[in-house]
Amino acid sequence: MAVTEMLRMEEVSRIYRRGRLEVRALDRISLALAVGDFAALCGPSGSGKTTILNLVGCLDLPDDGRIFIEGGDIASLSSAALAALRRDRIGFVFQSYNLIPVLTAAENAGFVLELQGRPRAGIRQRVEEVLVEVGLSGLGNRRPDDLSGGQQQRVAIARALAPEPAIILADEPTANVDSATAAGLLDLMERLNAEKGITFLFSTHDERVMQRARRLLHLRDGRLV
Amino acid sequence: MDNIFLLKTGWRSIWRNRRRTLITLSSVAFGLLVSVTFTGSADYAYTNMIDTSATMGFGHVTVAAAGYNRAPSPSLVLSGCDLVLAAAVKSGVRAARLRIVAQAMLAAGGRSSGGEVMGIDPAVETGGFNVFLRDIVRGRMFTPAETRGALVGEVMARRLKLVPGRRLVYTTTDRHGEMVSGVARISGIFRTGVSGVDNGVVVLPLARLRQVLGYGRDEASFAALFLADQRQSRIVRNSLARHFTGIGREILTWRETQADLAGLIAMDRAGNYLMQFLIWLLVAAGIFNTMQMSVMERRRQFGIMQAVGMAPRWIFFLVMAEALWLGVCGLAVGVVVTLPCYLYLRHVGLNLETLIGNDYSAAGVLVDPVLRLRLFPETGLVIVGFLFFIVLAAGVYPGLVAARTRPIAAMRQR
Ligand SMILES: Nc1ncnc2c1ncn2[C@@H]1O[C@H](COP(=O)(O)OP(=O)(O)OP(=O)(O)O)[C@@H](O)[C@H]1O
Ligand SMILES: [Mg+2]
Repeated sequence: MAVTEMLRMEEVSRIYRRGRLEVRALDRISLALAVGDFAALCGPSGSGKTTILNLVGCLDLPDDGRIFIEGGDIASLSSAALAALRRDRIGFVFQSYNLIPVLTAAENAGFVLELQGRPRAGIRQRVEEVLVEVGLSGLGNRRPDDLSGGQQQRVAIARALAPEPAIILADEPTANVDSATAAGLLDLMERLNAEKGITFLFSTHDERVMQRARRLLHLRDGRLV
Repeated sequence: MDNIFLLKTGWRSIWRNRRRTLITLSSVAFGLLVSVTFTGSADYAYTNMIDTSATMGFGHVTVAAAGYNRAPSPSLVLSGCDLVLAAAVKSGVRAARLRIVAQAMLAAGGRSSGGEVMGIDPAVETGGFNVFLRDIVRGRMFTPAETRGALVGEVMARRLKLVPGRRLVYTTTDRHGEMVSGVARISGIFRTGVSGVDNGVVVLPLARLRQVLGYGRDEASFAALFLADQRQSRIVRNSLARHFTGIGREILTWRETQADLAGLIAMDRAGNYLMQFLIWLLVAAGIFNTMQMSVMERRRQFGIMQAVGMAPRWIFFLVMAEALWLGVCGLAVGVVVTLPCYLYLRHVGLNLETLIGNDYSAAGVLVDPVLRLRLFPETGLVIVGFLFFIVLAAGVYPGLVAARTRPIAAMRQR
């Protein structure tokens, strides 16, 4: 297996059951991302974008098929090991309300580092670095409520970035901001991808965002098209 | 993740909703105030009743001939009294007094009445350990020189038309069961407020009663031992028991000599604890409810925390850190509110005379109409510890709910 493979899904299906109703959210999806990919999942609402990100992010388990992260089959991992994998190798950016409201921007950015149990001084230094990286230096002491939507997303990216993950998963990271802010966020992600080699997989149904992706994965009704 | 980070996050989280937190804190504070008032007034009243009851004869700890408590009789004689007193002093009692008690027929001026004679030593007895001396309302205590002096209760004095200076004849049985009598001259009249006592007890000189009953110099019915703190009764009893095992003596605490009082206190205490338990349950339910609400409101936040790799265990600890702060702050507020109330009621008291009157007695002991508090330090600690435990316990289930948040489900609802 090539070490340059970031993740692979083989014939993955995910079926939601609600009573007698079955929703086949993903239908035998197979895809692979290489290290350093900058890929977008796109498709209409309900096509399965969030479902894929949840599976790849080890927040959910497939009903069928196999998922490999950096060559390892996640089905073989305990829930503690999955939590550690999420903490150490995967960064998450959600659509909105990503942050812990009682923590400052800097504390939010350092949250995963706290989880990792890194020493205080190391955390402070790393947080300063990533806040500069996402263009928020000087705003570290603000609470999320005192930041704009775009700034909040940057803090979320800083939090994802701080532990130097292999991949950042972003579920419609630009859906709740205006287009200029969205462009700025994409510039940032692109730069992090280019400079740090971090793999990005994000979802969107915004045409302008799709154009920025180097790889487009089109989804419709749980299938890649 | 370290504890300081948890405590910091927990601290800020409780202040996200200030109003709710203030309500929670006041309910903890209220619980403390109620507990301290309930327990403090009970502890004060019990101690008061026990101490008063002790001064009516038997002391906090009593040394008597074996079998005396079950069936008191002049033929059950405690001998070696000097040794007993010496041992008592060694085990740290505040005072030790010898007494002779016997059922007697009392007669004066053609009238008679049943009652009890109690011999005490006028050379050593004081009002501090003897309610009859303390409560003299007419005349005075007989001196050691007045070998035929006597104190009589107010009610009996009225019935037998006794005033200081009048003669009183008492008839009883001696140590061999023979009828004997003696003559006394009334020196003083006491009023304890407990009608059975004021109508029944005649206090006589110990030496005189020894002669009449045929007791030796070193003999009495029992030794009454007084302690600085009634709660030490068992300890003192046990330490004395080590001296006196198996030589025909029994060593009793007030619980045995004043079984009625002990029963009353036990009942009252149980009722008191039940009340407090119910109040604590209410406090706990309130805290549980607010914590549960605050956890449900933050499902998305807990979902995100888990998604980025926070172990469920730590989310549980985070909620417990909030409970910890609520407990600490609630008790701090509680102490600030309770302390002035406590100090006032401890040193000044609240006069309830108009509500309960001033002659209410229970189990043969007069009840003080003034509401006062006295909290033993260890009881205070138990209350604080228990309230703290209650608050933490109220946080456990919300903590588990938070820890069990499924990230995907939590995130789907906005
Ligand atoms: N927990 C669930 N229970 C039942 N059905 C679900 C659940 N989660 C997702 N679905 C269904 O699975 C399908 C795919 O959902 P998914 O959220 O992955 O779509 P999406 O592409 O992210 O849509 P959107 O653009 O609206 O976010 C949809 O039909 C959705 O209703
Ligand atoms: Mg979605």
